[in-house]
Amino acid sequence: MRQTTLSVALEVEPVSVDRLSALIDSVKCQEEDPASGYAEKYGRLQAGVPVLHFMSMSVFPSADYDPVFVIEANFDGPPGVFWGQMEATLGPQLRAMLRCCKKPANRDGPLFVAVTSPDSRYPVAPYFAARSLRPSAFHHGNRGLDRGRILDEGRLFLATRKALAQPDPAAPNPYRLMPAARIHTELRAALKSAFPWLEQPASVRISLAERIGDWLRVAGFLFLVLVGLSIPGMIVAFISPWPRFLVLFGIAAVLIYLGLYRMRAPLAGKGAPTRSGGLTIESLSFQNDLTSLAHPVTLTIGVLLFLGIYGVVASVIATWLGIAVTGYWFDKLWWPSFRVVALGLLSGVFFTLPAIVLWLRWLELRDSSQDAPPLNPELLREMARREDRIAQNHMGSLVLVKPGVLRMALFRAGHLGLGLIVRATATEERHAQNVRLDFIEKAHGGLTLAWGSGIGFPPTRFLVLDGASHGRQFKAWARHSMTVTRFWFSAYKDYTVDQIERHARIADGLRKPTLTPKEAAEWARDL
Amino acid sequence: MSATAGRDVLRPPANGFKAWLTACLMAYVPLGFRVLRTIRPILRFGNTIVVTRYDDVREVFLNDAAFRVPYKDKLDIIMGGHPFFLSMDETPEYRRDTAAMRLVVRPADITERLAGEVERRAEHIVANAKGHLEIVDSLVRRVTFEVLGAYFGIPDPPGEDLRVWATRLFEFQFADPGSDPALRREVDTIAPALRAHINGLIEKRRASGSFSDDVLGRCLAMHAQGVPGFSDDQIRSALMGFIVGGPPQPPMVVPQALEQLLRRPEALAGAQRAARADSNELLACYIFEAMRFDPLAPALPRTATRDSTIAAGTRRAAAVPRGATVYVAFSSAMMDQRRLPDPHLFNPRRLPHEYIHFGYGLHTCFGIHMNQALLPLMLKPLLKRPGLRRAPGRSGYLSKRGAFADRLHVEYE
Repeated sequence: MRQTTLSVALEVEPVSVDRLSALIDSVKCQEEDPASGYAEKYGRLQAGVPVLHFMSMSVFPSADYDPVFVIEANFDGPPGVFWGQMEATLGPQLRAMLRCCKKPANRDGPLFVAVTSPDSRYPVAPYFAARSLRPSAFHHGNRGLDRGRILDEGRLFLATRKALAQPDPAAPNPYRLMPAARIHTELRAALKSAFPWLEQPASVRISLAERIGDWLRVAGFLFLVLVGLSIPGMIVAFISPWPRFLVLFGIAAVLIYLGLYRMRAPLAGKGAPTRSGGLTIESLSFQNDLTSLAHPVTLTIGVLLFLGIYGVVASVIATWLGIAVTGYWFDKLWWPSFRVVALGLLSGVFFTLPAIVLWLRWLELRDSSQDAPPLNPELLREMARREDRIAQNHMGSLVLVKPGVLRMALFRAGHLGLGLIVRATATEERHAQNVRLDFIEKAHGGLTLAWGSGIGFPPTRFLVLDGASHGRQFKAWARHSMTVTRFWFSAYKDYTVDQIERHARIADGLRKPTLTPKEAAEWARDL
Repeated sequence: MSATAGRDVLRPPANGFKAWLTACLMAYVPLGFRVLRTIRPILRFGNTIVVTRYDDVREVFLNDAAFRVPYKDKLDIIMGGHPFFLSMDETPEYRRDTAAMRLVVRPADITERLAGEVERRAEHIVANAKGHLEIVDSLVRRVTFEVLGAYFGIPDPPGEDLRVWATRLFEFQFADPGSDPALRREVDTIAPALRAHINGLIEKRRASGSFSDDVLGRCLAMHAQGVPGFSDDQIRSALMGFIVGGPPQPPMVVPQALEQLLRRPEALAGAQRAARADSNELLACYIFEAMRFDPLAPALPRTATRDSTIAAGTRRAAAVPRGATVYVAFSSAMMDQRRLPDPHLFNPRRLPHEYIHFGYGLHTCFGIHMNQALLPLMLKPLLKRPGLRRAPGRSGYLSKRGAFADRLHVEYE
């Protein structure tokens, strides 16, 4: 099932910020109240919103703007169903929270009034749906697994532990003496009655149509980027003969590369020891599977193929535009169009892109960074008090983006592109040798790329270098931009992403009536 | 002389082109609502408005002050001008009368008295039918009137059939938008006769000095204690309201639910497993999910008491003038994919808020808890039987007469 991730950001009336915080705390208390009538904490939300994986509620205070109330949620299926379930479960509480917020100035204003007016009985779900934002970049650790399946497979895992446990400490565990294929058969027979769904095939996690859609979106994004980069070159290509074009852009490119070379060094005392910033090309290797984009040959062929397709498609579009404007027919316009597109592409890759990097580097050298952001010890304590209680933590950070057209374009397009690429390349096979971008979560290069446009961020170099590599400074800056997560719900608080994948692999194996010795040996490793 | 034209519970079916056209149109109502939900969720023609989306249906139901129930005029005819809370706004009288009735129609009665009785009588009927049973009249209507008649303390009037009277009055009140003169003539006879019947029961009980532990007996005991809301007129109106508004409904919706289960062999098998496992809760999930595909009615009417707006602040916002009739299509709301996951899928594990069988707000069905518990039990003994299937021929498919379920024959081993 398709998962949805969304955020709702609402401006809060400054006078109501304490009340809003108290309302969120009260929902948390109600959910954690052992006398709530549910067997476990957050039982009401678990039962009332069965599509929900995670949800957070935070109020971000700032000296620069009025407080912002942020709800982030990750759930199965479309937003309408989720908000309907939220309304049925927490409707009165959500309405009270909305009454602490400001009326939006856009066309959602009348809806806000309808929802928040005294004695209003208008449903709150449409307002939250209208104010929901889809993040430009997000990553699902266990894509394609709906909540019910994650919980079912978690229970199955616990049952396997029980079945595999040594029944008598004095006697050897019978499973230890069995070959893997026999363990599979025995376990399956033992668990089948308690887990009848093992007889049914698992639903496809990511359908072929979804995968194709992911890659088409990436291709569309890259296509638009290439068109954008090609525009300066295409304009000049219209009026310049191609030899002159090549000479002009060649000279310009050389000058840009010289500029980049001169500006390559980090600011004095700000260089980070890791040259790559966590982004290495080590993942590219001839040892990788030839079908993987992590194989240099496959990657090269893929890039060339994409550029070829771009050239043809862009030329066809340009030709049709030419036909519409000039009235000439295809045979007259095809080659001139192709020439413009090809020269544009050449200039885009070798001139425009480096020129943008040069501009960015020029800005980076002049950016100010906040070396010692003020940290509120009380807030830090409050954040620390709520962290590391379960296997997952929620972290919310709100930062202002550095001004300027380039920064905004890079920020928007960068996040969008990154999100699309992460989605397309992340597969359910966690160990696949693929171009994987988990560095967003794990490596400083990714953190720099994602956050480097924030005001006060430690000095960056070429968008991904330095920055977050300044560990202490980065952490202080990140803490400064964070706030207390007042409410955090996880439908499976004891599981990590890897553990969920492990459950899924065990369940997939147990769904099959038989395994080959090789498959069984591979499967049994997860036990 | 009989108060009704015939002894058949339902009036003779309408004939002619108009009846045929109405039947055809009714068959396409779900499709029509589906189209409306997408292209025109709030449809207005003249002074009539139809709301089809879940949010809007809920909004209208919850906003009793702006959208009042339009039952007063006909209810006055039935009750002889005495008020009954079904037609009231949220007033002190409404609160007093509903609170009074909650003293005598007690939640504990469902488990202690009614549930077992419904199941026992249904089992008796199913066991004696020798493998071939008509569901609407022989099972559901019979069980409903026998159990609830005894519970309310209202037996058949001498020489008459309470099922016929109650169903006629129900039709007049809720399912007669064209105000059929023939039906009105029957109502003009039945309504005073039923009032006289209940008055007679009150006097008889009081004269005997024995109140008995049924709703009428409890009302008389409350009257004797001087509890407000229990004058003779109030007792009579409440009992008439219960008899007219309550028992005629199960014979409509329960056979419709069984028809939906018979159309879905997997769902039927699931319901049968639940019945055999004595899992009343799960059985109820199957029955109410089945009812979602063919609920009591496509829509319920409301009357706008003032100029207002439905879905204010949205693109589909619609102004409603004072006096307009608003049809609240709760059947459509229960199929709205904007709020229900996969609404066209039979899913017995749905959440409570996904069902609007009993309305919302002030005029939520007074007997909601009774219905939730008892309706599934009427089918439970039948569902336990192996080999449950449609009877051969057309009689094995549910037929309707106007808004009412007419006949459905099934066989079992």
